[in-house]
Amino acid sequence: MLVRDDAQRHGRRIPGTAGGGWAEFLDTRSDGTKHMNLGVRIGLAAVTLAGSTAALAADDDPARFFEQRVKVILVERCLACHGADRKGGLDLRQKDTALQGGDSGTALEPGQPDASLLIEYVESQEMPPDQPLSADESLVLRQWVEQGAYYPPVPLNPIAVSTSRRAGYDWWSLRPLADPAPPDVASTPDGGVPAAWTEHPIDRFVVAGLTAAGLRPSPPADRRTLVRRATYDLTGLPPTADEVDQFVGDARPDAYERLIDRLLASPHYGEHWGRHWLDVVRFGESNGYERNVVIDNAWPFRDYVIRSLNQDKPLDQLIREHLAGDVLGPGDPEAEVGTAFLVCGPYDDVGNQDAVQAAQIRADAIDDMVRATGEAFLGLTIGCARCHDHKFDPVTQRDYYSWYATFAGVHHGSRDVARPDERRARDERTAPLLARKATLAGQRDALEQAIVARGEAQAAAWEARWTRPPAARRGTEETFAPVAARYVRLVADGVDTNPAARTGYRIDEFEVWSAEDVPRNVALAHGGAEAIGRNPVAEDFADAYSPSLTIDGEFGATWIAASPELTIVLPEPTTINRVVFSSDRQGAGGALAEAAFVCEYRIEVSPDNRQWTEVATGADRQPVHAAHRRQRLLAAAGTQEERQELARLQAELAATDRTLAEIPPLPRWWVGDMRPAGGPFHVFLGGSPQRPGDSVVAQSLGALGEYVPAYTLAPDAAEADRRRALADWLTHPDNPLTPRVLANRVWHYHFGRGIVDTPSDFGFMGGRPTHPALLDWLARQLQTARWQLKPLHKQIMLSQAYQQSSRYDPAAAGIDADSRWLWRFPPRRLAAEEIRDTFLSLSGKLAPDNGGPGFRLYRYLQDNVATYVPLDTHGPDTYRRAVYHQNARATRIDLLTDFDAPDCAFAAPRRDATTTPLQALTLLNHRFTLDMAQAWAARLEQDVARATPSHGRDNGADVAGPQVERAFRQAFHRLPSAAERAAAAALVTQHGLPALCRALLNSNELVFVD
Amino acid sequence: MTTRDQETVPAAGAADGGATGELDAALGERVLSRRGWLADAYTGLLGLGLASLVGRELAAGDADTAGHWQPGRGQTHFAPRAQRVLQIFCPGAASHIDLWEHKPALEKYHGQPLPGAEQLVSFQGKNGNLMQSPWPFVPCGQSGKMISSLLPQMAQHVDDIAFIHSMMSKTNTHGPGCVFMNTGHVTEGFPSAGAWTSYALGSANDNLPTYVALPDVRGEPPNGKANWSNGFLAAQHQAIVMNAQQPIRNLPRPADIASEEDEATRTLLAQLNDHHAAQRPGEDLLRARIESYALAARMQLSAPEVTDLTREPAAVHQRYGTEDPNRLKAAYARNCLLARRLLERGVRYVNLYCASRASGVDGLLNWDAHKTLKPDYERHCPVFDQPTATLLADLKERGLLADTLVLWTTEFGRMPTHQEGTTGRDHNPDGFTCWMMGAGVRGGVSYGATDEFGRRAELDPVTVWDFYATVLHVLGFDHQRLTYYHNGLDRRLTDVQGHVLHAVLTYS
Repeated sequence: MLVRDDAQRHGRRIPGTAGGGWAEFLDTRSDGTKHMNLGVRIGLAAVTLAGSTAALAADDDPARFFEQRVKVILVERCLACHGADRKGGLDLRQKDTALQGGDSGTALEPGQPDASLLIEYVESQEMPPDQPLSADESLVLRQWVEQGAYYPPVPLNPIAVSTSRRAGYDWWSLRPLADPAPPDVASTPDGGVPAAWTEHPIDRFVVAGLTAAGLRPSPPADRRTLVRRATYDLTGLPPTADEVDQFVGDARPDAYERLIDRLLASPHYGEHWGRHWLDVVRFGESNGYERNVVIDNAWPFRDYVIRSLNQDKPLDQLIREHLAGDVLGPGDPEAEVGTAFLVCGPYDDVGNQDAVQAAQIRADAIDDMVRATGEAFLGLTIGCARCHDHKFDPVTQRDYYSWYATFAGVHHGSRDVARPDERRARDERTAPLLARKATLAGQRDALEQAIVARGEAQAAAWEARWTRPPAARRGTEETFAPVAARYVRLVADGVDTNPAARTGYRIDEFEVWSAEDVPRNVALAHGGAEAIGRNPVAEDFADAYSPSLTIDGEFGATWIAASPELTIVLPEPTTINRVVFSSDRQGAGGALAEAAFVCEYRIEVSPDNRQWTEVATGADRQPVHAAHRRQRLLAAAGTQEERQELARLQAELAATDRTLAEIPPLPRWWVGDMRPAGGPFHVFLGGSPQRPGDSVVAQSLGALGEYVPAYTLAPDAAEADRRRALADWLTHPDNPLTPRVLANRVWHYHFGRGIVDTPSDFGFMGGRPTHPALLDWLARQLQTARWQLKPLHKQIMLSQAYQQSSRYDPAAAGIDADSRWLWRFPPRRLAAEEIRDTFLSLSGKLAPDNGGPGFRLYRYLQDNVATYVPLDTHGPDTYRRAVYHQNARATRIDLLTDFDAPDCAFAAPRRDATTTPLQALTLLNHRFTLDMAQAWAARLEQDVARATPSHGRDNGADVAGPQVERAFRQAFHRLPSAAERAAAAALVTQHGLPALCRALLNSNELVFVD
Repeated sequence: MTTRDQETVPAAGAADGGATGELDAALGERVLSRRGWLADAYTGLLGLGLASLVGRELAAGDADTAGHWQPGRGQTHFAPRAQRVLQIFCPGAASHIDLWEHKPALEKYHGQPLPGAEQLVSFQGKNGNLMQSPWPFVPCGQSGKMISSLLPQMAQHVDDIAFIHSMMSKTNTHGPGCVFMNTGHVTEGFPSAGAWTSYALGSANDNLPTYVALPDVRGEPPNGKANWSNGFLAAQHQAIVMNAQQPIRNLPRPADIASEEDEATRTLLAQLNDHHAAQRPGEDLLRARIESYALAARMQLSAPEVTDLTREPAAVHQRYGTEDPNRLKAAYARNCLLARRLLERGVRYVNLYCASRASGVDGLLNWDAHKTLKPDYERHCPVFDQPTATLLADLKERGLLADTLVLWTTEFGRMPTHQEGTTGRDHNPDGFTCWMMGAGVRGGVSYGATDEFGRRAELDPVTVWDFYATVLHVLGFDHQRLTYYHNGLDRRLTDVQGHVLHAVLTYS
């Protein structure tokens, strides 16, 4: 029996389990979660268990003795310091360095343990410093030295061997797939092994485990339960009442198999299992980080996943397309879209000018790809080897950075995804238009140049009219003859950052002064003035750029002009003679675009907001920049005909642009922007791009080197070859991890918990398989089925283990509360998406869907950064399955978030199923529930009215009865009990049918699946 | 309220404590995750009203039978000083050298190059010469601590504050910086300190959330909801979002449903659920969900009472500034008042934000004064100063400061130079100030320092992880033992780092 001695873990045996060659123990984590650890550290278990007493007899084969007894002690207890780190100058990895000894002297004297410091330190318990060796262990070392301190010719690799502290290359999940035969089991008269459980291979594996644990299977579930379970499991939707009746009444022996076939053929299968897959690959549709901008062209990947599963595309092909679809099927959108996998994670797009930070940001972006790939397909937390070798799994920093070199050419972004013929067809249509555009633009430029040249010849005359200094950001003043005005407006004709622009300038204050002995600024909000002008709207803070900022008496914040005009409404008609305005009164903004200012303008006044009189203009000011000067010359020196010709050219250009815009663009999808990888690449010491270590190339992981053909690419390998090589390696028939991880995921979604309960972590920190042989058997089935999932689903669902009842049994629960041995089918709560889809389904509102752009349950606001505001009302355009929701990162979407739909910052290999009061509040009170309750009630009323003769309709009680019955059949697939019927009918009579629907939508029976 | 001195210390209940043994278990106890459903020895007790039994046992001082600390049960690793935390966050990188850390050298060398960093390129680009703070610093309190004259009301509190002037961040970008300051990680997906606290302690009241975020009226901070995320912890540990302008979502009964109808609907629902659960004895999750509806009903009664600021006397409103003509200040003042009401009712962790995200104009909606430091901070400081100072004074007068840990945080600092061509400062992740107050924190002290110009943390550099190691210590937790398994690692708020800053505490 192995129990980890880590202080944070407390080994606890499951009562009632027999050892049976496996060392089982519960691993209680400090977080209160439990991981059942079946000791499948085969090598270690065998060694320690087999040898615990007998091994003290000296082994006459030193090599075997070393392999079986010595190596594990050295690796586990010594090499962490006296390996590559050479603490105290001592390196115990190989014989010659060990014999050299360390700073304290000779560590090993072969044949003379009493002269060996190593033995002295160990026996005096000075080493290892954290915890002394056991008496057995120190004796082993003594014997080893006595026998000559045998070392194998190859230096010890500290990460090659699993120990009680970490996984090595011999870790269970890294070993080749076994080809286990299902155990032979015979039925027992006491029902411990029912006859039905002795046939299906899965049942034979499962029942053997149950028997060993002192448990027995449950009886079969009833057919109503089974059809509901299977329908939710494969489609994420409830069966209709008719489908339940049909199945319950179907006496054919293969009725259940037909049910599975029908469900697997349903397009809803791909939607539901596609959602699972999107969880695993951390698919999200916003970039996260500070800006978190929504990504509108990532949805083709979601549709592709759904389509692929519905078509039962082999998963090895899917995985290969995820990594290198553009390489495997260039010009084939169906393959190319797969690479969205690489770029559908979060990344920072803020544009950092600090080179050190920019390098870190790029490293973070690649890190997301490395982690996503390792966890999704291999169940290896490769990301943990970013700063140092993995602390628990045999993954080195070199491994990590060889993947870094693999993904180094992948950038977040879009590509045109189109077949060559589509590209050609489009090019043929656009080419003449582009040529025409070029011609027109050339003509326009030539004409403008000619006019400006003429203007330059007379420049002195024009310049003589520009007598005043240019408009100034810090304050521009216009005085004019006193005039009575109620309205004063600034009309922009040019902005100092762009002579052609009339908007985009800022005003921090606009003053209007009265023509009095003591002039007053009459344009102040607190004096009753009002400012009118359009501004870009920051919806979550509407006043951010408001025109009222121009009359607030302060200079800090500015109005940003979205209209050429800024109109000030004075509190009363006033005689005025001066205005002063600025974009940067305090001079803090300098020459920055943030202080863009109007420089070509008119000031106009009006008594009534209709009749306007110009009282001042900036036309006699000097132009602010050369470009503005040119603009003025162009306007002044052109003849009437020239101006007409320019206008004609401009109009034609615009028309050509419109025609071009009418040609549909090529599909442009968020599938990554692939560029040359660059390089050379290095290990980043401590994870810092500023500390490059050894150089690395794209190559296979060391951990599977023994079993899967390794590859090492040249430093200058083409970008495409890097990803293709990895794709081939991941899906190589001899790679045991990929099919194991995949088979476990399928099992996980069928039973709510995987054979390994950490589906993306098959390493040391992850769970251990409850049924390792079954896992390998399933993985083999998957390979045999050419990596198609549908046959595997069917196999699993045809087992008795799947079809058994979920009935609770306190005695069994006392042994195995979570039913990890499958003494019952584990009941589950519906996932967030299933709950929403169920509501839509019951109400009859669920729209048939062919995918396409997703819907949103939030209002999307963008003002530099994005903000997501959950909607209070969900319109009919949202009545689609939740898999089509455009899931952005760091959002909160009421029902979806409350019921544990994950934020897609990380992959979510398993969902939580929490129970919180917020869920109750949302399901009771959000408009969506009320809308669904009403729609469902309307549907029930119609159905019942159709089925009921007209004379009964006036009598409320007569109608309520059938309505209640129908509602129960649709929601729970059963009839109400007498008490339920009476209580429900009373509610309907008093408060209407929607009240009953609201209650049912909130009920436990609806959201739990037995 | 005084701190209890026991080995395993049940956190005190809500202020109205006492007869609520059953309710002490509250949200944390009743709220089950599937994870907890697994082989949890307590599962059999949870849910079924027997949660209260667990609650009582533990309130009596036991951990579990083996003496191990259990999360979410009000237990701590050792005696805590704080029962609750108020974290005030000024997003946008509030400038340490213009608010809290006086740098005479900036005045002396104003307009001269920063020695050794003449070509400094930071987040937005090139930097110019050194720039003194536009406002004088003034000595405050008994300690004579120099802070900016822009914060005249905060001056009254310096003798209770431990300033940490040597903070360092890993990133110079707001979003990741805020997330780092709140979660100890620059990438999203990790739990915030409030979520960790909720996970570690569970609730201290039976009808209000454990963890509340009060975003500013101007919007969410950079990276928005990731700042109060539960990350990989169960969903119940995320902050409930509300503020004085915006109630808890979905809390009130819909307007078009009469209370009789609502009542009758819930009654039927309870009957259906009871009937369903009775046929499935032993299914704790069903009981837990039934209980969650009862809790929701209690929350519907309690939350409106907390957020009803009209229950506060006019003098209190006056003092906080809730009716100030500056609408931003008035809005923030209402959130400050709301924060006090939440804390005194047993909410464990309140995130109070003063300012919001990066807008189209730098420094407009938050403290990100890239180009125009003077007008920007003359806008932000008056919003912050009086309401915050009043909130702290109010906590102190009510005795809450004795066991409330107050944190003031921002994501990083600003450069001692001006940005080329501007009168603002660029991002500076290498040195900035945060501070702590209350619950055994030493007052009137300054820990660590940046160099003479404020460019880099120089004396006793402090990481975000050190900061939170200290916070957890004050809450009664060893930050190295507060862990949660996720994707291959036992994760911590303090990553694999963190040292408790004993120097800022009055006790060891």
